[in-house]
Amino acid sequence: MKSLALVGAGGAAGFCIAATLMHFAYGADAAASSAFHELTRFGEAYGYVRADYVVQPEDRDLVQGAIAGMLGNLDPHSSYFDPETFAEMQVKTDGQYGGVGLVIGSDEGVITVVNPIGGAPAEKAGLKAGDAILAIDGTAVTGMEVDMVEDKLRGDAGTKVVLNILHKDTKTPQDVTITRALVSVEAVTSKRNGEVGYIRIPAFNDQTNDGVKNAIAELRNQIGPTIKGYIIDLRDNGGGVLDAAIAVSDDFLETGEIVSTRGRGSSDVERYNAHPGDIAEGKPIIVLINGGTASASEIVAGALKDHKRATIVGMTSFGKGSVQTIIPLNGGEAGALHLTTARYYTPSGQSIQATGIIPDVAVEEGANRPEEQASAFQREADLPHHLNAEGVADDLKPAVINPTGKDYDDFQLTYALGLLQPALASTTPAVKAKHHG
Amino acid sequence: MKHYALVGAGVVAGFAAAMMLFPAAQGASNLSAYKQLDLFSDAFERVRANYVRPVDDGTLIDTAIEGMVSSLDPHSSYMDAKAFTDMQIQTKGEFGGLGIEVTMEDGLVKVISPIDDTPAAKAGIKPGDYIAAIDGTPVQGMALNDAIAKMRGPQGTKVTLTVLRTGEKKPFDVTLMRAVVRVDSVKYHREGDIGYIRLTAFNERTAPGLEKAIRDLKSQIGSGIKGYVIDLRNNPGGLLDQAIDVSDDFLNSGEVVSTRGRHPEDTQRYNAKPGDLTGGKPVVVLINAGTASASEIVAGALQDHRRATILGMTSFGKGSVQTIIPLSEGGGALRLTTARYFTPSGHSIQAMGIQPDIAVAQGNEDDVSKLVRPSEADLPGHLTGENATKKDPVPVIRAAPGKKYDDFQLAYALDLLHGKLTVSAVTTKSAYAN
Repeated sequence: MKSLALVGAGGAAGFCIAATLMHFAYGADAAASSAFHELTRFGEAYGYVRADYVVQPEDRDLVQGAIAGMLGNLDPHSSYFDPETFAEMQVKTDGQYGGVGLVIGSDEGVITVVNPIGGAPAEKAGLKAGDAILAIDGTAVTGMEVDMVEDKLRGDAGTKVVLNILHKDTKTPQDVTITRALVSVEAVTSKRNGEVGYIRIPAFNDQTNDGVKNAIAELRNQIGPTIKGYIIDLRDNGGGVLDAAIAVSDDFLETGEIVSTRGRGSSDVERYNAHPGDIAEGKPIIVLINGGTASASEIVAGALKDHKRATIVGMTSFGKGSVQTIIPLNGGEAGALHLTTARYYTPSGQSIQATGIIPDVAVEEGANRPEEQASAFQREADLPHHLNAEGVADDLKPAVINPTGKDYDDFQLTYALGLLQPALASTTPAVKAKHHG
Repeated sequence: MKHYALVGAGVVAGFAAAMMLFPAAQGASNLSAYKQLDLFSDAFERVRANYVRPVDDGTLIDTAIEGMVSSLDPHSSYMDAKAFTDMQIQTKGEFGGLGIEVTMEDGLVKVISPIDDTPAAKAGIKPGDYIAAIDGTPVQGMALNDAIAKMRGPQGTKVTLTVLRTGEKKPFDVTLMRAVVRVDSVKYHREGDIGYIRLTAFNERTAPGLEKAIRDLKSQIGSGIKGYVIDLRNNPGGLLDQAIDVSDDFLNSGEVVSTRGRHPEDTQRYNAKPGDLTGGKPVVVLINAGTASASEIVAGALQDHRRATILGMTSFGKGSVQTIIPLSEGGGALRLTTARYFTPSGHSIQAMGIQPDIAVAQGNEDDVSKLVRPSEADLPGHLTGENATKKDPVPVIRAAPGKKYDDFQLAYALDLLHGKLTVSAVTTKSAYAN
């Protein structure tokens, strides 16, 4: 193979492609020859488009379009990240970026603060939801794409940015100078609820495990030895980084398997095991899930359920039990493949895919969360081209508990608190069982 | 390219790979082309090797080609082998089928009308009937195209429709024998002393159909014929050569249309041959926002040669040419945008459309939202026009308030040919005719 040599014009280019293809062309096995035949068909189409399209196309765009088409058709989670998206995504999974800490949107072209992130520089500078951002460092941003404005807000921690702000209730814009800092994208939050510690994990990123550990330590400090237990809220947590989900599960488990991923070949099995130590010191845990609980969240719920370390309360989760691997092309310069390479299995060997995690206690959302009631979560099994479930025993689903007669801000949370603090059980509502559809 | 020489093991295979994979590669700019192709084969190989379950190589490449081509513009696409065959059937204007025009309503297929002398008409299928199942398969949840595909098939084969009809309590089954159905793209009748001809599409039978229509109308109306209305409203286009033939039927000489590709040598001009089938009688062409592509070529040619008065609203603006490029050995075909259309005066149709000489609104334009009927300029990734200048706003003529016409544009066109205004109209200024 290495002894190939090319002479003549265009030799270098010819060599490159010939060498790449040698392992297809070489050897006569059927699979390689089919691949070679198909690749040739692609080459033919590519050649025609380059030569005949009405305007000169960029080779890069053609190939990016092709890779995106190929990946996008495999299943709902496989996709191609072009170089720009890939760079952006790396910022997201790191969980941190240098910025001012604002969630912004565009309201008919006017860039508006949707939400300042708690504790971040923008909030400290007094920015509030509804404020309009008119200019950044003297450049007017009205009418600009939100993505572009976000880019302008970002920068290294310690650098300054001047925002021209029209506060919601004022008529004169004013300049606000903000020093950028490292901002966490999706931080873990916690609060004390009587003698129960409540921890909300909105996503799994590289900061999540530290966030959970800090939250537990803080709650234990606040509540003291009488602490009854913890509620870990994974509702609407769409997932994130696998390692973070494993680390968070491990926080509460002493031993045993957390999750396994199984790829195409029988040897492509990876098992992840817990290490000794339970940061909650064996206190009861309730994990809240719903139809928006997906992927990495389902790993945590599944592991804690199978080991009977937590009681799972809420509604059946989304059912995204597939693993995507990021495969950078040309070292990331050409973007990356986000390719489904394996399925997740809970310690008991249950596939999460398309089935989801079924709660131990099925409790409906309260009527006061209308936005979720209305959306009636689309689940993995509803997505076109979803992977089928594999090795799933048809579990007996528990009857659903739902609020009757009364309004609750958050019925699932109320119910979970009732479970952990039986003294409060009198506040737990009359319930009615119905079959879970 | 042909002077490559290879030394060493695997020479033949390696050489073949480079040549076969990229037959169209020539010249120095191909370094980038090869690099990108290399990148693609890398991605392909990784998907083959690592995807969670085995995937068919052919499917991967089908979707890759589709992704590449459809990212170019809204009209470029890839047809796999089956879609390619279907398309050939459609443009021929005949296929094995039942002969019903259908639409989708409440998740069921609704019959608009059975076409005369077809199996559906003979079996008594009526307008307004709903088709609930085809060969026992419920239609509910099916896309309209899939339902149509199920009804089509080779002539002589049978299909059973489960029909729901107003007034009938129960659905009933009708079994029909498929036959060759000719899609008539030309409809015509006399409007007093004026010949009205509607072209619904441009397929292989359109120009001959038009020629027959003109002959028939001439003999029906006789020498007192005042002129013709050619109705191209909602005609989405079709075959280029048919559009040229149709234009040529009214023109004696001069250019009909030119297509210009990427390179100057790609320019093709199509010229009219002597002979005007209508003997120079006045012609009014009706257009609207649904008039696209081949229809716009006809409207543009007759407008530029002042052979017809164009009446109605600005057309869609699809001024690009797609060429069908079959890939070798049943590998499907590319439907690739290869050129733009230009009217004889050098005006690009692309994204601008044909502006009417007399802007007349039908009155229902506001009912049809932009979402339902976008124009070319609304499509994502559309090609921009070239040599296109937006003309001054034209005043728009509308039916007078309170007056209702079945077809105001046609009524106005007939008045125009008669040289007298019988419709009650108002003119609104300062609006684009779109």
